[in-house]
Amino acid sequence: MQPVEYAVIASAGLGSRLGHGLPKSMLEINGRTVLSRLIESLRPHVKGVRVVVGYREDLVIGLCASLHRDVVIVRNPEFRTTNTVQSMAMGARGLSGKVLFLDGDLIVEPGSLSHFIAKAADVPSLVAVAPSRSENPVNVVVDGPESRMLVTRFTRDAGHPYEWANVVAGPADMMDGAEGYVFQRLEEHLPLDAALLDLREVDTPADLELAKAFALQVDEQGALRARA
Amino acid sequence: MSRTAYCFDLDGTLTSTEILPSIAAELGLSEEIATLTRITMEGWITFAESLRLRVAILGQVPLDVVRSIVDDIDLDPALEAFIRARPDECFVVTGNLDLWVGHLVGRLGCQGVTSRAKTRNGVVVLERVLDKGDAVKGLRTAGFDRIISVGDGSNDVPMFKESDIAIAFGGVHSPTQAAISEAEFVVHDAEALCSLLSTL
Repeated sequence: MQPVEYAVIASAGLGSRLGHGLPKSMLEINGRTVLSRLIESLRPHVKGVRVVVGYREDLVIGLCASLHRDVVIVRNPEFRTTNTVQSMAMGARGLSGKVLFLDGDLIVEPGSLSHFIAKAADVPSLVAVAPSRSENPVNVVVDGPESRMLVTRFTRDAGHPYEWANVVAGPADMMDGAEGYVFQRLEEHLPLDAALLDLREVDTPADLELAKAFALQVDEQGALRARA
Repeated sequence: MSRTAYCFDLDGTLTSTEILPSIAAELGLSEEIATLTRITMEGWITFAESLRLRVAILGQVPLDVVRSIVDDIDLDPALEAFIRARPDECFVVTGNLDLWVGHLVGRLGCQGVTSRAKTRNGVVVLERVLDKGDAVKGLRTAGFDRIISVGDGSNDVPMFKESDIAIAFGGVHSPTQAAISEAEFVVHDAEALCSLLSTL
């Protein structure tokens, strides 16, 4: 058993599909950015959080300077010509042990994240999956019951119940030397253990609406728990 | 065996207050020095030009007065502990004068690479302004094959360019844009910086 020690959030890419002129992680929902939400839900579970920045890095650096001072920012000046997987590898530079890699454009339910991280300690790598609902999903073919799922294949084909959720825990060097999409790096190691993660991705305008509603729901649950 | 050297800027990186403004306050010249510091940090005048002006203004202060002010300056406790744990691999690389900060660097137990000055009739006269890039080259010549540097200002850019890994550190104030643009990492917290340094 090896617990997750660090989290690497890839937040270098262009927010081009949403066209707000912001990195997607800097979109604000109910008064908090997507990135702040991620960092705050990760912070209790890991020794350190690293955020990889590129597009409009000034905005992300400014946010961390004011609200998340213990975050280590990793610069990817080549963000226009590199993929998320390369940002993730840069983010894990120098780290050893187990790392949780995440896309910066995710709204994650904190309780479900906590379960996922706990489960990740028991297996070499753990792939996050979610009910297929994104506009352009990469779906996964899974084996086994929900409590012990194995991903056997990634596919762009529709009609599968689960999609790849852009979160994976594994060895710190697992993204090193990869060039395509993150799931293509994972394909090299199939089958892989998988677990459900309750999250929404902010990728297209339609996703954003779903993510907003989800974030509000998460905030309400959080407020209820705080009162209880 | 690979040998790593860690290079630290002094003012605003290892110290939580800037040293020259503290000396200036003693003389009632805070505003004048603050203006110079600001335009230097922004890169509007070169560090060498700025240092010459600052030495011209502050060089009249008796050295024992300067030293007693500098001795009261706080060092960041986390970074101080990091340096004390590996004094032979750590270097304070500062444009500040050996005459002014030598004792402070000595307190850390590591070596310093500084600008040089001497006194003539009780007045400090600048002899050589340090190019921080040259300092890094010097360490390579001395047998270090990997250099990691930490700084926050425009005069750290030459040091960053010559280093293998550069870290812009905003513990006291935000690093300048020029420093960020040459850095691989940006960190705002001393504990996070030390933990990053130990993983690299």
